[in-house]
Amino acid sequence: MEAYEPVARPVVQVMRPSVRAETPPVEELRPKISARNLNFYYGAFRALHDISLDIPEKRVTAFIGPSGCGKSTFLRTLNRLYSLYPDQRAEGEVILDGENILTAKQDVSLIRAKVGMVFQKPTPFPMSIFDNIAFGVRLFEHLSRREMEERVEWALTRAALWAEVRRKLHQSGNSLSGGQQQRLCIARCIAIRPEVLLLDEPCSALDPISTARIEELIHELKGEYTVVIVTHNMQQAARVSDYTAYMYLGELIEYGPTDSVFIKPKRKETEDYITGRFG
Amino acid sequence: MSAVVSAATSAISPANPLYRSRKRVNVFMLGVSGVALVFGLFWLVWILGTLFYEGGHALARISLYFEMTPPPGADGGLANAIAGSAVLIAVATLLGTPVGVLTGTYLAEYGKRGWIAPATRFINDVLLSAPSIVIGLFVYSVYVARVRHFSGWAGALALALIFIPVVVRTSDDMLKLVPDSLREAAAALGCPTWKMILSVTYPAARTGIVTGVLLAVARISGETAPLLFTALNNQFWSLRLNEPMANLPTVIFQFAMSPYKDWHRLAWGGAALITLTVLALNILARSLFRRKD
Repeated sequence: MEAYEPVARPVVQVMRPSVRAETPPVEELRPKISARNLNFYYGAFRALHDISLDIPEKRVTAFIGPSGCGKSTFLRTLNRLYSLYPDQRAEGEVILDGENILTAKQDVSLIRAKVGMVFQKPTPFPMSIFDNIAFGVRLFEHLSRREMEERVEWALTRAALWAEVRRKLHQSGNSLSGGQQQRLCIARCIAIRPEVLLLDEPCSALDPISTARIEELIHELKGEYTVVIVTHNMQQAARVSDYTAYMYLGELIEYGPTDSVFIKPKRKETEDYITGRFG
Repeated sequence: MSAVVSAATSAISPANPLYRSRKRVNVFMLGVSGVALVFGLFWLVWILGTLFYEGGHALARISLYFEMTPPPGADGGLANAIAGSAVLIAVATLLGTPVGVLTGTYLAEYGKRGWIAPATRFINDVLLSAPSIVIGLFVYSVYVARVRHFSGWAGALALALIFIPVVVRTSDDMLKLVPDSLREAAAALGCPTWKMILSVTYPAARTGIVTGVLLAVARISGETAPLLFTALNNQFWSLRLNEPMANLPTVIFQFAMSPYKDWHRLAWGGAALITLTVLALNILARSLFRRKD
């Protein structure tokens, strides 16, 4: 279990590294998730229109766009979270590792374990910090007490929370501050070692320091995980992502390497949005 | 041209007639609310005052708790009725809590699709407000009349039927107060629904559900009508559920209707005792609920 090595590193590092490796076009990378002609309905309302794109493996892909454009809806199809609600349905294909996860025969619990998700508002469970993290792990693994302690420490360390909570692991998760709660949720998510991380505006309720920590964490995680982040904050998308998709009114307007989307967008709508003339 | 605005005619002044009339309405409404409050409290205080004035003596006597219900003119207490009530309420609670909590769980957690949950919720609301004598007659006709004798079981069953709708309603409401974001977070970890309910939503709604159970206990501890046709009454000490069982409400009913002074005293004592128990349960429920906030 070499991955449990606690990582010592500087606490805060706001900006992304100055040297960015040349990002190849999406088509040249192995896709982890592919959407094909994806349509989504809330009852009679159509929220996504024929979305087709490939999300590359072990990269950070950001979704930007004005409120209500379907970014979060898209994210919620990637782990079938929408299927909790009877009036929501998706049509088309979402292909994860070569299999269409939208078909009824797929086991949703296994998909959701493989595709972790962190929400806009922190959602600690009404239990101790330790159990918040152990809860998800226990669903899929039988670990000894010692192994579980190691796993919890590993996850909390990855989420940059270990130093702050190591002495109070048995306090309620609700006793933490908002930023700490969000990092707890990230730790809870990576503790079960998913392959994909979906982040739905993970920093919108956080202060700048917590935001910086989470952005830094995203950088660290992308070596091992495929990260998909929805954000309202365009600077954040520019800082953390390799690829950016701009959505508007349920349609995918532009998708490509973050640099080209931000520096020389191909579509006028994208340019208007990122320069603030609209949205 | 629009209205001329100057400092002299500013609307924001105590002399503004609109503002003054609003103040008068405010004073009037406050007065009416105050009178209504005093009116309500007056009767409540009168009822409680009479209860404890008449029943206080009986409550203070130790024989109330240790002696059996006496024949007219003799000395005695309510021991068999107190014990009988305790047994009936305990059995009704044990029968009603699982059924009520599980039904509430179904309504709040599983009943998102189809017509079963809305229909159940509607019927439950009807049962919640059904007169308790109807429940008593129902148990009489389906159980007592068939086995041809009154029994503790029949009484407990009737009480459970009153107990269940209260718990269904509060459990349903309390579980619905748990935010969906917690359910989504659990589901997003790959957690199956039953596990999510046990580990996440029950703990989050626990105090509310327990409060609902306590309030339901308070509700059934004063019910008389359903016991008249089911548990009946028993002059002697008996904890056997297959036999008619003494219980406080029917003893109060019987003794209060009698012409005997001693029986009246005991009836007042029993009434005061039930009131105190319900008060204690309500305080317990409130303090439990408050500790959460």
